[in-house]
Amino acid sequence: MPIKRSYVDVLDVNTYIQKLADSFYFQCTTRTVQESKLFPVNPYIALSYYNAWYRYPELVRKIDAAMPAEEIADRARQVGSYVNTITMDVATQFYLGGHQWLLDMGILKPTDAVEDMMDVLDFTRRLNLAYHRSEAHIMPSDGNHKDQIHTARQTEAFEDAAIGVTSGDKLHTAFTRFMAAVSAYGFLSHCECRLSFCNHGPYKTKDGNEMLVRDALDLSECDYPWMDGVAGEIEHNNLTITVTMKDTHFNMVDDWGSFEAEPSYNNDNLVSLGVYASDFLSDGYIPVHMDSASELADYLDDQRAKMESATATMWKMMAGWSREQMIDAGLLVYYGTLKDVAHFAGVYEQDDWMLVDERTQRFKPLMNDEYGNSAIAELVGLITLTSQNRSPHRMARYSGERSEMWTPIPYSVLADDEWTAGVGPIEAGSTSLPAKTAKWTTTQGKLTQDECNAAAKAFHSKAFDLRHYDDDVWAKNHPDAPQAAELAAATSNSGS
Amino acid sequence: MSDSDAAARPYPDIWARESATPTVEKYHGAIRALVAERFAASGKTWEQAVEDGSLEPTREDFEKIEAALLAEGYKFDVSATISLKEEPDKYKPLAGIANTGENESDEQGRPIVGHGDNVFKAPADVTGTARYISDVDRVMEMLTGGVPENTVAIIDDSGGTLTAPILGDFKAVVCMGGTVRSHLGILTREYNVPCLMNATLDGLADGDEVTVEYSKPAADAYADAESASGHRARIIKIS
Repeated sequence: MPIKRSYVDVLDVNTYIQKLADSFYFQCTTRTVQESKLFPVNPYIALSYYNAWYRYPELVRKIDAAMPAEEIADRARQVGSYVNTITMDVATQFYLGGHQWLLDMGILKPTDAVEDMMDVLDFTRRLNLAYHRSEAHIMPSDGNHKDQIHTARQTEAFEDAAIGVTSGDKLHTAFTRFMAAVSAYGFLSHCECRLSFCNHGPYKTKDGNEMLVRDALDLSECDYPWMDGVAGEIEHNNLTITVTMKDTHFNMVDDWGSFEAEPSYNNDNLVSLGVYASDFLSDGYIPVHMDSASELADYLDDQRAKMESATATMWKMMAGWSREQMIDAGLLVYYGTLKDVAHFAGVYEQDDWMLVDERTQRFKPLMNDEYGNSAIAELVGLITLTSQNRSPHRMARYSGERSEMWTPIPYSVLADDEWTAGVGPIEAGSTSLPAKTAKWTTTQGKLTQDECNAAAKAFHSKAFDLRHYDDDVWAKNHPDAPQAAELAAATSNSGS
Repeated sequence: MSDSDAAARPYPDIWARESATPTVEKYHGAIRALVAERFAASGKTWEQAVEDGSLEPTREDFEKIEAALLAEGYKFDVSATISLKEEPDKYKPLAGIANTGENESDEQGRPIVGHGDNVFKAPADVTGTARYISDVDRVMEMLTGGVPENTVAIIDDSGGTLTAPILGDFKAVVCMGGTVRSHLGILTREYNVPCLMNATLDGLADGDEVTVEYSKPAADAYADAESASGHRARIIKIS
């Protein structure tokens, strides 16, 4: 029996799969191989792909039923959160990675789990479409590596509120020290992963400089159980930091929210900055101690000292972990890239996002360091898995080789080919890590899981309600419309 | 692919080629053969067998696959020190720094013991004491006792976590892996700690006094290997 999807549905999903493959190939081959002497990085990355494969289908259906993907993204692009450019790109890549390995092992055929594939890909595609609405791209590489998700309403507010600095003054010094500390802290809390950071922009400012909007995420007690207690002194879970630079052109803000600049990013060129808190419960960005440069400098110094202390404490804890604990923590960071989508929808459950499915657990005996490194290298860099080979006539976009990273859905499922629907419901899971006990740090205070979900369901964002007017094309021609005034008020409310 | 490989597949793949790495080829080949065998014995259609899970390998299957490779005398390359610590018999020992005794000399006749890619152009070259940091115990020692002054940290890990709590206390860093875009490169730039990435070392010992050319221009992450090699900074042993 043919699948109950249209030809165009499958065309859309397969085109998205190939777009993801091209994006991931570029990103993976222009970065270095991830490694760490502390964490077995590639073994945990590999296992996270299986967890995504087995768990995302049911979870995205649950989330989509509570709040459609495009509405979640409309909310998310008005705050700094873990629903952002990098997580929405890599989550789907991880899912497809699990698929490709199971194909390569002969455990699945391309005609298997077709309904799952359609649902997960459709969900994340709608997320990306709405999140990147302001630039009308699905991912930054579509726009020559620019990631301008904000409307003029927001970027003007950022620019107007920014506090000027000069190299070596009190705020400049505090800021540069803070950024170093938060960077080390973020890599450690995320087990060597860059997911704690995401950059958006650049935006041209009135004086001809360029502004980058930098998010530092999951800094306080949050979903990760290992941050309970150790991160308790960090006031905000998410901080958005705007930096305006002179004599600097950000020539790349890529699909992973990383940037490059020409000449290289140099804090000496920093001319102004702003710091904001936000999350799935905030109505936009909330300024943090921005009443004066001195007050903000003192705050950044205070938080830097607390992060340095937390870094040392967390490092000692992690250095005492077993290999399996390190693997579980890392794989849950990677697998958890979609977790904030559940927070926005008010259906977050710790057991959905912070457990390793038993179907994933069984792969652990394979995951020595060498196999983990090789499996990742072949899958996303070399593109040399047996199953990745296409016809000898094929030439891939970047490499010119005959292999492609991801396998699409065969169109025969629209005719008379046999197929299977999916992996079924989430199965039991477990973890070698201690269970979470602390509350979640939010902009509405420290909340339990149930309180987070209830608050998310009850929350109404003014800017979200007016989102179809929050559009630069509309704004250009309606300066005196009441909706424009309401949006401006919503922005200044969040900025007061 | 050979005919025997094709026969060990649960379904045809006319464009298959061998995997590029030995462990992937061994493991995935063994799993394909296992699934093919189970499918042939099941008497079910492929779709029935997939849906009822009868083709799924178990943890015990995977344990046997690894055991079979180890029984051939194979030893795995190690990445994280915890892997070697917990299962030393499974992994090859970590390689040390090369010492060929064939070092070139600088303009003053001092031995050049390494080269690397500069993360950013520092105001001046740095002279300090090379201290090799490759495991948790050494970091813990420095975390509790303090990083000795003038430490040029020699690190064989381009990640940002091993040295995260003490990175800001180094005078400079030389990393034997990664690129200027690696996590360690990103972090050293944020800390304003001069850093060479992708360093090749020969004849450098723990405790040597070195001068490192951090005042050279930053490396171009997109340069080809040949043009990049001409711009690499030198590590010069001074005592």
